Amino acid sequence: MEIHEMKEGNKLSITLSGRLDTITAPDLENKLNSSLENINELIFDFSALSYLSSAGLRVLLSAQKRMNRQGSLVIHGVNETIMEIFEATGFTDILKIE
Amino acid sequence: MRKTFQKWLLLFVAGAFILTLCLSFYLQTREANSNSIDLIDLKLDDAVKQIKLNTRNVEAIRIMTESEALAKARALAEIILNNPDVLKEKGWPGRMEKILDVDEVHIINKDGIIVASSSATGYDMRSNAQSKEFLAGLGNPDFEYVQEAQPRGMDQEIFQYTGVSRLDETGIVQIGYYPTRLANAMSLADIENLADGFRIGNHGSILITKSGIIVSSIDEKLLGLRMDSFGIQSGTLNKKEPFYATIEGVKYLCKPKIFSPYVLIGILPVDEMYVSRNEMIRSIVFSNTILFGIVFLLVSFLVDRVVISGIFHVNRSLEKITEGNLDERVNVRSNPEFVSLSDGINSTVSALKDAIAEAAARIDKELEFAREIQLSSLPTLFPPFPDRTEFDIFAAIFTAKEVGGDFYDFFMIDEDHLTIVIADVSGKGIPAALFMMTSKTMIQNLAESGRSPAEIFTDANRHLCENNEAEMFVTAFLGILEISTGKFTYVNAGHNKPLFRQSLKAYDWIQTKPGFILAGLDTTQYKQTEIILHPGDQLFFYTDGITEAMNQSGALFGNDHLKDFLNSPEVINYNPADLIHVVKEEIDIFANDAPQADDITMLALQYKGHGIS
Repeated sequence: MEIHEMKEGNKLSITLSGRLDTITAPDLENKLNSSLENINELIFDFSALSYLSSAGLRVLLSAQKRMNRQGSLVIHGVNETIMEIFEATGFTDILKIE
Repeated sequence: MRKTFQKWLLLFVAGAFILTLCLSFYLQTREANSNSIDLIDLKLDDAVKQIKLNTRNVEAIRIMTESEALAKARALAEIILNNPDVLKEKGWPGRMEKILDVDEVHIINKDGIIVASSSATGYDMRSNAQSKEFLAGLGNPDFEYVQEAQPRGMDQEIFQYTGVSRLDETGIVQIGYYPTRLANAMSLADIENLADGFRIGNHGSILITKSGIIVSSIDEKLLGLRMDSFGIQSGTLNKKEPFYATIEGVKYLCKPKIFSPYVLIGILPVDEMYVSRNEMIRSIVFSNTILFGIVFLLVSFLVDRVVISGIFHVNRSLEKITEGNLDERVNVRSNPEFVSLSDGINSTVSALKDAIAEAAARIDKELEFAREIQLSSLPTLFPPFPDRTEFDIFAAIFTAKEVGGDFYDFFMIDEDHLTIVIADVSGKGIPAALFMMTSKTMIQNLAESGRSPAEIFTDANRHLCENNEAEMFVTAFLGILEISTGKFTYVNAGHNKPLFRQSLKAYDWIQTKPGFILAGLDTTQYKQTEIILHPGDQLFFYTDGITEAMNQSGALFGNDHLKDFLNSPEVINYNPADLIHVVKEEIDIFANDAPQADDITMLALQYKGHGIS
């Protein structure tokens, strides 16, 4: 998985490509831990993400919880496979997917 | 490391080089000093010997000259005795001067007056201190006197008088002459000329001083100068020890020698002292540079061959070992030390490997126990309720190697209500197992207190959110079957939708939208859905261990595969136990020995109602 970051003031855009699973989720978690300071607008671009496991959901949940406190989180480019996962796990209720 | 070694070796060799050079310089300087002093001493000894020799020569010549003069004077006295009349002859003294080869002949009478002479007839000997000396002999028939030779006249030439008693009457016969040989010898022996004869080395010489004043020197400019004008005190001279002094701008090594009343000082320019030393040092520098260069290259080469390349190999192996390859062997056998080091490292690594394997085995054992405890909390006795004919239930869990968090559960709340649960805790290992136990117990307790499915999950979620520092979550499906009516009330917290087969139709997923996972957000409110089961209806619950089972090429088993398999003609009518077994077989065929990554859990429920037995 590749993580591409772009920061503009208090807005952080993260583009993920590949698989977000047990192996790669800790990378994203570390990245978020170090980058979310003073961010009030977090945008994920999932258009190149092919797979999302429960470990990935856990990181997303944690990011959502944090952004609930300090701003907003929006996910772009969610493909069908990943949308199914979001629906099956009820994540569509808590995530803002555009 | 090779660089570091060479740096230190170079430092060491350079140090040794400088030390050797310093030592050579010191020894050569000492040698040069001692040689110079010896040289000066030798010359000073020669000079003293020369002085003594000269003195002896002068003495011998003096005795010879004296005896010759006395013989001539006696002969003259004899001539006068035999022929007194000669005294009256005019010209006689001149003749005698020629015959006797003397310069003056004087015949003195009893009154001390010269009565016969070629130049001084009538001269009173008493009128001069020099001539007066001879008058002491008047009246002494045995008087003989050779006067000290002394300089005379304008040119201060040495002249000597000798006299004896007259034999004919009272009086003195005196002859005067230039003692040429004696004068030459004396001149030769004159210490003031001595310095000219001695050189020390090329530019060294001897200074002869008397009462601190230079009386003899090759350099005439120095004559008459006082030694203390060069800063040399008489005390320094009397110590007889070598010292340094600057004379006329040149620095000299000086060594005094006392030859009373003189002090001879040998002087040698310092520059000259060190000429041979400097040459020696130059050749030592040259040869040492070559020698130490060779030593450096040789040692550097040998150490590289013997030690450094060995250490390189050892380090490379150690790096591999550090990276986790405990099968790496160190095998440097270039010398006994490395053999012992290699063997030592190998046995340590091997012991470490054993220890790790042992620890791993122990942990595996403990995980196995944990797994057993975990699994023993699930109902595994089938049929679980042998006297209930209204439904048929079967469940199985096929665990992956690593401890997971899947579980299923079913229990009667009362005579008419059966609760079924299937769940999957996110993550693996002991944390997942513990969270699974907590979740299972909590759900069961809440269910047994008579709450509705939605209430059970809403409350369980709230409790699970407390103290969930590890941010784990659970996907779960819970349903309560009212046996008498077939009413099945269920709630889904992000779990895989179960497949539902209404009797005589195909399996399809229950289409209700799932709620959010358990333990995610403590504010989640769950909604329950009711359906009515008719006799013959069957529900198949499972975890994502099935749909995400992977084959060797990484393909997933998938939802569609599962649904199609269940709907295949030979499977569609299987009862719960058979269904679960064939699904497992189908997954195994698909996986084709690829390792099972996740727990696989299945639960199947068939409602029979009162109509089907």
